Amino acid sequence: MNDLLIAKDQLRYEQKAYWRNPVAAVFTFMFPVVFLLVVGTGAGSGKVANSSLRDNQYLVVSMLVFGLISACYTNLGVTLCIRRDSGVLKRIRGTPISIGSYVGGIIGSVVINVALITLLVVGIGMAGYDLHFPYHLTAAVITLLVGVLTFCALGLAVTAIVPNGEAAPAVINGTFFPVVFISGVFYPINNESVLSQIATFFPVRHLVKGLVGAFENGPGSGLQVRDILIMLIWAVGALVFGLRKFRWEPRHR
Amino acid sequence: MANDPDIVISVKGLTKSYGNFEAVRGIDFEVRRGEVLALLGPNGAGKTTTVEILEGFHDRDSGEVSVLGADPSHRDRGLRAKIGIVLQACAVDPFLTVTEAITQRAGLYSNPRPVGEVVDLVGLEAKRRARIKTLSGGQQRRLDLGLALVGDPELIFLDEPTTGFDPSARRESWDLVRGLCAEGRTVVLTTHYMDEAQALANSVTVIVAGKVVASGPPDTLGGRDRGETTVRFTLPSGVTVDDLPTPLGICPRVRHHAVEFSLPDATTFLHDLTGWAVARGEALEHLTVKRPSLEDVYLSLTGGVDELDELDELEELEELEELEE
Repeated sequence: MNDLLIAKDQLRYEQKAYWRNPVAAVFTFMFPVVFLLVVGTGAGSGKVANSSLRDNQYLVVSMLVFGLISACYTNLGVTLCIRRDSGVLKRIRGTPISIGSYVGGIIGSVVINVALITLLVVGIGMAGYDLHFPYHLTAAVITLLVGVLTFCALGLAVTAIVPNGEAAPAVINGTFFPVVFISGVFYPINNESVLSQIATFFPVRHLVKGLVGAFENGPGSGLQVRDILIMLIWAVGALVFGLRKFRWEPRHR
Repeated sequence: MANDPDIVISVKGLTKSYGNFEAVRGIDFEVRRGEVLALLGPNGAGKTTTVEILEGFHDRDSGEVSVLGADPSHRDRGLRAKIGIVLQACAVDPFLTVTEAITQRAGLYSNPRPVGEVVDLVGLEAKRRARIKTLSGGQQRRLDLGLALVGDPELIFLDEPTTGFDPSARRESWDLVRGLCAEGRTVVLTTHYMDEAQALANSVTVIVAGKVVASGPPDTLGGRDRGETTVRFTLPSGVTVDDLPTPLGICPRVRHHAVEFSLPDATTFLHDLTGWAVARGEALEHLTVKRPSLEDVYLSLTGGVDELDELDELEELEELEELEE
C-alpha cells in the first residue's frame, strides 16, 4: 500500500507494456539510430558553422533530441489519448491508486526510455564519429531533464486537443514533424535563416541549442541559460493548460 | 436509519443536470448489505449518471448520497478500496497478460484476494499467460470482473456485466454473483436483460427520464403479482369462440386461430375450459398460461418514453458539459 512501491510497480508494468508494443519502441529507438548510421555516415566530417562539432557529431546530438521528444511528447501523448479513449484512465480513477503513483510510474518509464536512447545514440557517436563525452556533463544532464519535463508537459497538453484515440498519432505527429524539421534536427541550420527565426518560437530549437552547447568544447559551464528558460516557460504553460483541460473520460463511448 | 450499518447505499433526492438537461431529477433508493439491486431503464434515463455519482466519477448537484457510510464525491481512497467497479468497456493495457493485469491491480489493495483464486473464479485458468489483446470479448468481460473482485470489495458495481456472453457463460456469471452475495457482498447491477434482473436481483428500481417510476422485488414490481393471467390456445377446428365456456364479462381476443383470455384469476376458468375440452374430446393445442413477465411490466412502465439514441444523447451531454465549463 506504500505509494512509492505502487509507483515502482506501475513503472515495471509500463516498461513491460512498452517493449511489447513494437510500434512505439521502433519509432523512438530505431529511427534515430538508423538515421544516424545512414545519414551520419554520408554527412562527412565538415564543421558545423560557428561550432566545434562536425556535421556527423551534430547529428548525434540532434538525433538524441529526436529520440527524447519522441519518447516524451509522442509516446506519452499517444498513450494517454489511447488510454483515455479505451477507458483505462477512468478505470484507474475508480481504484485506490494515488494519481501521484500512477503518473510517477508513467514518467519514470519515460525517463528510463530517454536514458536508454541517450546511451545508445551517444554511444554510437563516441564509437563511430569521434564524439567527445559531453564536455559539460552537468549542463547536458540539466538540459536533458528540462527537456524531459517540457516535452512530457507538452505530451499532457496535446491530449486536450486530440478528440479521440484514433486521431492521436495524426495530431501528435502532425505537430511534431514540422517543428522538428524547421528546428535543425535533421540537419544543421543557420541561426539567421527565416526557418530558424520561426523555430526560435518553439521549444525544440532550444533543446537542440542547449544540448549542442553541452557537447561543444566551449568556455564556461556550457549551460545555455536562455534556452533552458524558454523551455521552462513552455513547460509551465503546457502544464497549466494540460492540467486544466485534462479529461479522464473519452468524449464518446 | 441513516446510520444503520446494513444500509450500504442510501440516495435521497439526488439531482444532476448538464446545462439545461436534467439527467437525474430527484432519485431515492436504498441498498442493504448482501442485496443485489438492479437498475433498469431506457438508454439516457439517468441510470449511468446515477451509478457514476455513486462510484465517485461525477459530483451531484443536490441530494444526499452515502456509500458505505461515506460521501463518494470526496473521492476518498479508503472508500475506493472497498468498492469494485466493472465498467462497460474492457479497460486494461492490451499488452499485459491476464495474470500480470490482476497481479498489478492486487498490488493496490491492502488485503487482496490471491491472484490465482481470482483467475479461477472468473474462469480464465486456461488464459493465465495470454495477452489481453488476444482474449475474446466475453473473456475480456470476465477479466474485468476479476479486476473488480481482486481487492476483495464489499460493494460491487456491475454495468451490463454479461453483454456478449454465450448462455452458459451467463449462467456461470450469475452463479458467481450469487456467490458474492452469499458472502455478504452487495451488488448494484445495471442491465438490459430482464431475465438477468429476474434471476439475480432482490430489488429492482426502474428509472425513466431521471426519476424512479417503480421499485420493489422483481416478483411484485409494478403490481406484477396482481396483474392478469393470460390463457392462450389454438381454437380446435369446427369450434367457434361462442362455443367456449367464456366467463361473464371477459372478452376473448382471436388472432388467426389463436384465442387469448386475460383474467385476474384463471383457476376457475381453466377448470371449466379443460372440462369442456375433455367432455367434447377436443385437444387444446398450444395451451399456455402466462403471468406477466418482468419484461411486460418493464415495457408498460417505460412505454410512453421515447428512447434517446445513446450516441446522440452522449454528444448532447458532452456539449452541455462544455457549455457548463
